[in-house]
Amino acid sequence: MSSPDTSSFSFPAQSGSRQPTLSLESVIKDYTTETEPVRALDNVSLQIGTGRFVALVGRSGCGKSTLLHLAGAMDFPTGGRVVLDGVSTDRLTEPELTQLRREKVGFVFQSFQLLHTLSVAENVELPLLLAGHAHPRPGALEQLASVGLADLADRMPHQLSGGQMQRVAIARALVHGPRILLADEPTGNLDSVTGNSILELLRRISSEHNTTILMATHNAEFASLVDAVVRMRDGRIEEVAVR
Amino acid sequence: MKSSPARLERRCALLLLVFLSIAGKAADYQLALPGYHYQFPRDNFNHSAYRTEWWYYTGNVTSSSGHRFGFELTFFRQGISLEANRSPWYVHDLYMAHFALSDLSGHRYEHAERINRAGPGIAGIDAARQVIWNGNWRAHIGERSQQLQAITDAFGIDLSLASAKPLIVQGRGGISRKAAGIGHASHYVSLTRLLTSGSVRLNGADYRVTGTSWMDHEFFTGSMSSDESGWDWISLQFDNNTELMLYRMRHKDGTIDPFSSGSYVDASGRTTFLSASDFSMQPEDDLWMSPKTKGRYPLRWQISVPRFGLEGTVTTALRNQELTSKFGPSYWEGATVAAANQSGVSLHGVGYLEMTGYAAGAANTKFP
Amino acid sequence: MSHLSIFFRLIVRPMLRERARSLLMLSAVALGVAIVLAIDLAGDAAAGSFHSSLQALAGDDNFEVTADGGVPESIVGDLARLPWPIRVTPRIEDHATVAASGETIPLIGIDFIAQANDPDEVQLGAPNDTSIFDDINSPDAIWTTRSLSDRIGSTVTLVINDHKHAYTVRGFIPTSARFGGDVAVMDIDAAQRATGKAGRVDRILLKVPDQPGFAEWQQRLLAVLPAGVQLLPQGSETAANRRMLAAFRWNLRILSYIALLVGAFLIYNTVSVSVVRRRVEIGTVRALGACRRAVLLAFLAEAAIFGVAGTLLALPLGRLLADGAVRVLSTTVNALYVSSQPGTVGLSTGSVVMAFIVGIGVAVASALAPAREAALVPPTEAMARGRREYAIRVERGRDALLAFLLAIAAAFAARLPPVGGKPLFGYIAALLLVAASAFAIPALVTVLMPLLSAVLTKLLGVEALLAARSLGGSLRRTSVLVAMLSTAIAMMTAVGIMVGSFRQTVVIWMERQLPADLYLRPAGEPGGDRFPTIRPELADSIAMLPGIAAISRFRAYQIEYQGLPAILASVDLGPSQARDGTEFLSGRPSSVVLSQLDAGDSAIVSEPFANKHHVHTGDLLTLPMGVRAASFRVVGIFYDYGDEAGIVLLARSTMLRYLPDKAASSLAIYLAPGANLETARAEIRKAATGRDVLLLANGEIRRQGIRTFDQTFAITYALEAVAIIVAVLGIAGALISIVIDRRREFGLLRFLGAASSQIRRLILIEAGLIGILANIVGLALGYLLSLILIYVINKQSFGWTIRFHWPVSVLVAALSGVYLATVLAGLYPASIAQRLNPIEVIHEE
Repeated sequence: MSSPDTSSFSFPAQSGSRQPTLSLESVIKDYTTETEPVRALDNVSLQIGTGRFVALVGRSGCGKSTLLHLAGAMDFPTGGRVVLDGVSTDRLTEPELTQLRREKVGFVFQSFQLLHTLSVAENVELPLLLAGHAHPRPGALEQLASVGLADLADRMPHQLSGGQMQRVAIARALVHGPRILLADEPTGNLDSVTGNSILELLRRISSEHNTTILMATHNAEFASLVDAVVRMRDGRIEEVAVR
Repeated sequence: MKSSPARLERRCALLLLVFLSIAGKAADYQLALPGYHYQFPRDNFNHSAYRTEWWYYTGNVTSSSGHRFGFELTFFRQGISLEANRSPWYVHDLYMAHFALSDLSGHRYEHAERINRAGPGIAGIDAARQVIWNGNWRAHIGERSQQLQAITDAFGIDLSLASAKPLIVQGRGGISRKAAGIGHASHYVSLTRLLTSGSVRLNGADYRVTGTSWMDHEFFTGSMSSDESGWDWISLQFDNNTELMLYRMRHKDGTIDPFSSGSYVDASGRTTFLSASDFSMQPEDDLWMSPKTKGRYPLRWQISVPRFGLEGTVTTALRNQELTSKFGPSYWEGATVAAANQSGVSLHGVGYLEMTGYAAGAANTKFP
Repeated sequence: MSHLSIFFRLIVRPMLRERARSLLMLSAVALGVAIVLAIDLAGDAAAGSFHSSLQALAGDDNFEVTADGGVPESIVGDLARLPWPIRVTPRIEDHATVAASGETIPLIGIDFIAQANDPDEVQLGAPNDTSIFDDINSPDAIWTTRSLSDRIGSTVTLVINDHKHAYTVRGFIPTSARFGGDVAVMDIDAAQRATGKAGRVDRILLKVPDQPGFAEWQQRLLAVLPAGVQLLPQGSETAANRRMLAAFRWNLRILSYIALLVGAFLIYNTVSVSVVRRRVEIGTVRALGACRRAVLLAFLAEAAIFGVAGTLLALPLGRLLADGAVRVLSTTVNALYVSSQPGTVGLSTGSVVMAFIVGIGVAVASALAPAREAALVPPTEAMARGRREYAIRVERGRDALLAFLLAIAAAFAARLPPVGGKPLFGYIAALLLVAASAFAIPALVTVLMPLLSAVLTKLLGVEALLAARSLGGSLRRTSVLVAMLSTAIAMMTAVGIMVGSFRQTVVIWMERQLPADLYLRPAGEPGGDRFPTIRPELADSIAMLPGIAAISRFRAYQIEYQGLPAILASVDLGPSQARDGTEFLSGRPSSVVLSQLDAGDSAIVSEPFANKHHVHTGDLLTLPMGVRAASFRVVGIFYDYGDEAGIVLLARSTMLRYLPDKAASSLAIYLAPGANLETARAEIRKAATGRDVLLLANGEIRRQGIRTFDQTFAITYALEAVAIIVAVLGIAGALISIVIDRRREFGLLRFLGAASSQIRRLILIEAGLIGILANIVGLALGYLLSLILIYVINKQSFGWTIRFHWPVSVLVAALSGVYLATVLAGLYPASIAQRLNPIEVIHEE
C-alpha cells in the first residue's frame, strides 16, 4: 500500500538543459525475503538535473543504497519508472542495460573495490577495457591526472593510502565519461581530513565535468559542498533541503 | 578308515560287483584243465592266460622274547584285457595285495590292502628277476629260498623263507577241483613248510622272529560254481614235521560240495590227496560276529582224518582277524593252533584258517 | 572452549553448509581408495592367491618330481617300489580346448586305480559310483565338472594339441572350491595317448610320512632319484608363477596409487581454501580461548572424518570395480603368464584395514600443512573488517631450491639396483620427481604467467588479463591446482610414452624376428604356459609341398628354473632364413651366433632370462632333462619380447638328443621365391585336414601379437582415466570455490560495465590457463617419469630393453582431450559466476 504522494522532488539542471539526468517516477521497490516482502522504496519520485551534486542521507535501511542501485540501472523497480538521461530502464534487455551502464553510469564504493592484482592505471582503464576500447591507457592517465595521481600510475593498490585508493576509484568511475556518478558512502572508510578532500574532489568534478553526482553518506561535512540534501526514511523521501 | 561301517559295507558289496564287472570276459581266458605240465621255476611266476592268480603267504612266527605273530601277505592278479597294447599304463591286469599282521600276544590285528595297475614297474610279476610285487610289497622267489618284504606306516615284515619241504601240486591230475563241471578248478601248488626268520615291525617296535610259513599259488579262470557261496580252508604244520591242508566249498543252500578236498604231507614229503570222504572239518558253535561286515565266523573247528589217525581241534588266539576289503570280498584269515592226536600221540600244530563268503551281501556273490 | 564445540563451530557447521565442497572431498577420498582397493583385490584374485589350473585335483602332497620335457615314467615304478610308506601320484597335466565354447581347460590324467588306495585323495565320482572302473582302458572316457556337461554319456568334443576328438563323459568330479572352473580328467593311459606324451608324465607328487622330517626325506629321495629330475617342495610351480606375477602386481599397485595421489592434492587444496575462508571463525574461536593445538586437531579431525567416510564409500565401490578388473587381469595373466582360474574376489579383513589406513592416512597427511596454517591464525582475525584476499606468502625461492634437490635425489635413486627383484628405488625416484615438480610449480607459474598473460590478452581481451592476474595473484592455490592436474597428466603421458615405446619396440622386433611367410600352430588360445603340439607327420608332409622352400620347427616346453617359470625351446636352424633376424645384446650378427648354436651343447637365452637369473655369455646352464642332467654353454643373449618368463633356446638337433619327441609347437614356413601365398596356404590347409591347426600369414601373426599387447595395457588405461577424472573434478571444484571466493570481484566488474557473458568467459579462460600450465608441467614431468619407467622400472621388473619412442599422435590426442575436459570443467563454475547478483555480493562485509 503506497503512502500518499510525498514530495516529488525535482532539482533541475543549473544550466538550461530541460531533461533531467536522472528521473525516478513513483518508484516502488520490494524485496521478497523468507518471511514477508520488504518494501525498500515506497513511492519515491525524484528528478535531478545535469551537474548537480546531491547528497542522500538517512539511517541504515532507509533505502539509500536501493535508490542508488536503481539509479545506476543495476536493478529494476517493482513499480514506477527510472529514466536515465532520457532512457527508461524498464524496457531494456540485459545487454542493453549493460550498455547503458557503460555509457552513462559510474560507481564509487565505500570500500574502494580496487582489484589488487591490477596496477593503478589498469584499475582505472578497466571500464574501458570491459567495454572493448582498444587503447584505454591515455584516457586512464588523463583521469588519474585530474584526480592528482598521475605519478602513481604504475603502483599497485596495496601501496596506496585509503584516500589515494578512493581517488583512483573515482578516476575509474569517470574514465568512460558517464553522465551520472553514484557514490555509496565514499568517505566511510576514510578519516575526516581525507574524507573532506574527497568531497571537495567530487564537488569539483560535478561542476567542472558537469557530471551529476548522487552520493549516499553519513558524513556531516557535506552540507556546504552539496547542492541539495535528500533525507530518506523507511523508503520514502522525508525531506529535501536545497542550498 | 573314515567310512562308517554301513557305508563301507555298501561299498564292499558294490565294489565286489565292480570287481565282477571289471573282470575280463571268461571266454578269453584259459580254464584249469587236467594234464597241465608243471615246470619250475617257470610256474612259480605269471600265467597271464588264466584270468585269476594269487600268491598266498601265511605264517606263524615268534620273537626271541616269546611275542607271537601271525602274518598274511597275498598278491592277487585279476585279468582285465588280453588286447595287445604296448603302453605300460594300459590295464591288462589289476593287481591287488593284502597284508595282515596278527599280534597274537598283544591281541591286535592290523591289515592293509592295495590295488594297482602294472604301469611302468608299479606292480607285476617278473620271472627273470624272480619277483612278484605290488608297490613296495614284494616276494622274491629264489631257487632255495624266498624273501618277503612288505611295509605300511604302522607295521611291516622282512622275512626269509627257506623251503624245508618240496613244492607240491595240490589236487588230482594237476588240478584242484572246487565244483562239478569243467573249469571249476584251479592249478594249485603249495610250499607247505617254509622255515622263516627275519623281522617284524609293529608300531615302532622291531622284533626278530623265527617260525614257519606256508605258500599257496593258484591260477584259474572261474573256479567256483554259481551255487557256491564260499569256502573254509585250513592249513596246519604239526610239530612232527607233517602238514595238513583241508578245504570245504559251501553251497548257498548250506550243503558242502562233494569236491571239497585236502592233502596230507608226511615227514618225508610224500603227499596224499584227501577227497571229501577222507576227512571231516566241522565248525563248532563258537561264533564271532564281525562288527563291520556282520559275518558270523566259527572260530573253532574239529578236524579228523581217519586215514592217518588224525583228529584235533583248531582254535585261534585272536578272534578278530577279519580282513575287510574295499576292493574285493572280506574274509577271515587268521593264525591258529591245533591240539591234535595222531594214533594216540598228542600233537601240536600251528597254521592258518581262512573263511570266505560270510560277510553280509556276500551270500549272493560269486568270487570268480 | 571445549574441543567439541570448537570442532562444531569450525568444522561441522561449515561442512554441512558447504555441501558441494564436502561432497567433493568425500568423492576424492572414495574414488582414490576405491581404485587402490580394487586393484589390490583384483590383483590378488587374478594373480596373487591363484593356483595354476594344472593343480586341479592335487592332494596334500609334500614333494613334486619334475623334469624339463617331462619325467620318464619308469621313475614312477622306481618310487612306488621304495621301501618307505610314500604315496606316489603320477600326473599328466595339459590343456584341452572345448570345441563348442572355445574355452581352454586343464586336462589332467591320473592313475585312478592307484588313487583308490588313499581315501584322502580326490576320488572320481560319488562314494557309491562304480562306473569309474567300467571304463578302464577306454581312450574316450573323461570325467568332468557338471558345468561342462550335465549328463553322463554325453559327448564333449575337445581339441588337444592339433586334433579334435569326441570324448564321452563317464562321470562327474567334485568341483574343488579352490580351483573353480572346468576340468577334464582322464585315466593316465588315455591322457598320455591323447597328449602324445608317450614314456613321460608331467609331474609325480609324493606324500611322505611326518617322520623323520621334511629335510631328511628330501635327502633320501634325492639319493634315489636320477640326476635328470628335480625334487621340489609341492607347490613350487605355483610359487614360481606367483613370484613372476609379483612384479606385474607391484607395478599395477603403484599405478593405482596415482589416483590417490591426485586425490591428495585435491584434499590439500580444498582444506587450504577452507582455512582461508574460515579465518574469521578461526580467529573468533581463538579469541574465545581455543589454543592452537585445538584448531590443528579440529582440521585434522575433519580430514580424518572424510577419510573414514570416504573409505566406507570406497569399500563397496572398490569391491564392485574389482569384479570388473578381475576379468581383465585374468585375461592378461592367462595370455601372458599361466593358465589359471581367477579366485573369488573377497573383501578380507586385511584389505579393509589397508583401505582405512590408506584413506585416513592420505586425507590427514594432505590436510596437515593447511591445518598447521589454520593453527597459526591470530585471534585478531576475528575483528577483520572487510574480507581481504589473503595471499599466503609463497616461498618461491626456497621451494625452487627444494625442487632442485629433490630432482637430484631422484636422479640418484634411479641409478640404484633392484631390491628383492622389485624396482623399489625406481618407484622412489618417480615419487621424488613428482614432489620436485610440485615444489617447482610456483616458480614456474610466476615465470610463465606474465608471458601467457601478454599473449592471451592480445588474443582474447580483458578477460584473459583478469584471469591471468587473478591466478598469478593467488599463487599457492593456483600452484596446487596445477600440481594436481599436472600429476594426472604426467602419469598419463609417462605411461603413454612407455606403452608407445614398448609397442614400437615390439613391432620392430616382430618385423625382424618373424621372417617366415606363414606360421602354423595348433588352434586354440595361446597362453603363457601352454604349448600344444603338432604331430611330426604334418610338418614332414608340409615340407614336401611344392612352393615351400623350407620349414623350421619350433618346440617349447614350460620349465622351472631357479624358482621362476621359464621356457625351454628349440628351433630348426636348417633354413638359412631362420638364422637371420635375431638381435643379440653383444651386437654380433645373428647368423654367426646361431651357427655356434648348431654345434655341440650350446644355448642362447633371452634378455629377460639373463636378467632374472644373472646369466652371461659363456656361462654353463644345467637343466634336468629327464634321466640325465644336461649342461649347455650360453653363446649369446638375444632381445625378446614374446615372453617375460625368459627363454632358453637350443638347436633342434641338440634338443632331440635329450628329449626325442619330434612333435613341434609351431612351424615357420618359408615359401620358395615366386611362390603364391594363397596357393601355398590352400595346399597347406589341405595337408592339414583333420588337424585342428591355425595357419597365419606373417602380417596376421604380428597383428595378433599387438592385439595381445594392447589388451594387457587395458587396465593401465582405465587407471589413468580415473586419475584424470579425479583431477578434472578437482579443477571443477576448485573453480567453484574460486568463484565463490571472488564473487565480490565479479559483482564489481558488473558494476563497472561487464556483461555477464564476460564473467563467464573469464572463468573459462582461468580454467584454460590452469589447463595450459598443467599440460606444460605435465608433459615435462611425464617425459622424465617415462624415462624412469622405461629404463629403470620396466628393466628391473621384467628385464627387457625398451627403445624410447614418442607416440606423437596418441599423446596429442590424449593431451587435447584432457585440455578440453579441463575447460569443460569450467562450464558449471562459469554459469554460477554468471548468475551472481552483483547487488547481493558487492555489499557483503
